[in-house]
Amino acid sequence: MAIPAVRGTAAGKRTQPPRLSFLRQSLTIASKDLRSELRTKEALNASFAFALVILLLFSFAFEPTAEQTRQIAGGLLWLVFAFAGALILNRSFARELPNDCLDALVAAPISGAALFAGKALANLALLAAVELVCLPVFGVFYNVPWTQQFWPLMLVLLLGTWGLTVIGTMFSALTVNLRLRELMLPMLVYPIMIPALLAAVQLTTPLIMGEPLTAELIPWLRLLAAFDIIFTALALALVETVLVR
Amino acid sequence: MDARNFTYMFYGFLAVWLVLCAYVVSLAARERKIRREIERLKMMVEEKSSTGAP
Amino acid sequence: MRTKLMIAMAGIAALLLARNLYVILLELPDEAAQGAIYRIIFFHVPAAWTAFLCFFAAMIASILYLVKKDLRHDAFAASATEVGLAFGAANLISGMIWARIIWGIWWTWDPRLTSMLVGWLIYAGYLMLRRAIEDPTERAKIAAVVSIFAFVDVPIIFFSIKWWRTQHPQPVVWAGGQMDPAMYNMLFMNWIPFLLLGAVLVMIRMNQERAQREIDAMRRYAHAM
Repeated sequence: MAIPAVRGTAAGKRTQPPRLSFLRQSLTIASKDLRSELRTKEALNASFAFALVILLLFSFAFEPTAEQTRQIAGGLLWLVFAFAGALILNRSFARELPNDCLDALVAAPISGAALFAGKALANLALLAAVELVCLPVFGVFYNVPWTQQFWPLMLVLLLGTWGLTVIGTMFSALTVNLRLRELMLPMLVYPIMIPALLAAVQLTTPLIMGEPLTAELIPWLRLLAAFDIIFTALALALVETVLVR
Repeated sequence: MDARNFTYMFYGFLAVWLVLCAYVVSLAARERKIRREIERLKMMVEEKSSTGAP
Repeated sequence: MRTKLMIAMAGIAALLLARNLYVILLELPDEAAQGAIYRIIFFHVPAAWTAFLCFFAAMIASILYLVKKDLRHDAFAASATEVGLAFGAANLISGMIWARIIWGIWWTWDPRLTSMLVGWLIYAGYLMLRRAIEDPTERAKIAAVVSIFAFVDVPIIFFSIKWWRTQHPQPVVWAGGQMDPAMYNMLFMNWIPFLLLGAVLVMIRMNQERAQREIDAMRRYAHAM
């Protein structure tokens, strides 16, 4: 244990200690992404509008006031999030293509993992914003008491959204140079994130109806957390090889 | 042998081999395409090298 | 040399299949509850095993590609995935025909069936992604990452769907419980020709990939002149 500590302080005189700088670098990337998105609000507005349209369309596909529709509320909600999220995730790396910004980012003295983590955090914030607007609208349209289990619902939302974000950001990086990237991204992302989606739906449906988290729901929470951890680790490990050409 | 469900057993066997045969046919089609492409390119290279060289 | 090996392997596969078909149709007894149709399992299950082995081999080759950057590993990964998809399709379709008779419906959301379908869709996406990328090294790199993601995902999909379905009534696979050992052995006996056939197909497909690389090189040469 002594040797790395000594090395850390020796290096610290010239540069930041490694772990802090990783976090700092990702936060810098995340704030850059959020700033540029909030200036134009292109992806955010498109995603909001799209989510609202799908919520409206669902009411024609299913009788909105029927008890059966309330029983599939979690599934409807997550479909909206997944579809609307793809619009934001598509733009995540594609945004950097004009003026060769992506090459500059890759050449910057930060690791690919930090770049990926920053982008994923920005996407998480944007997706969460869309979801937090959709939720009250959904509550009004479909008459569900979603505020009763507010904090457990937020936890599920956070874990599920992170699963969507980490897979989506990774595949956004993979498909960034493709002509067909708008088509390829959903086709690859949705099947891969089926376990996360399934767990999130199973958890959201009772929570949004105001029922508490029971013991039989805990395995789903574990599955969701495990999915997030496994794919975050995999993405952080592999993203460097993807970005460097 | 039991005659029950015999037709559908036959359909099942047929389906497995039809799928695999379809894949083999697609492989053969690709093989032909690649052969043609190689022939074409060879002719092109020969033509160019015979006319290009003085 | 390689062609001879492939012909030999295909010949052994054909002989074994003929011998197995004789045993399956004429020597093995009928299953009490299902009649003749249970025999589909001798093709259905080995096809699934072969498909998963192909996907697993593709993942190993993808990791090797990322480490060694040798395009031959990439060619192997692409070939194995494609052959795996063919066997996966055979598995799915034969399973549906069996389910139509035994369960009365073409499709049940059984964990194995559903996982195979989801895995099939992911790997079909993998092949479509490969088609969309022109540059060979770029294609190999991106495809390798997707292949690793896909194979890590498959067991997670399986367990999530298994949990999901245990909350619902599900059909019983074997009404009689345990399988007869002679039938059980036959599954493995019939897996051998499937594996040989799969290996031959992968070799053919890899030859094509190599030929394709030669074509690309010749094109560059022709343009340079």
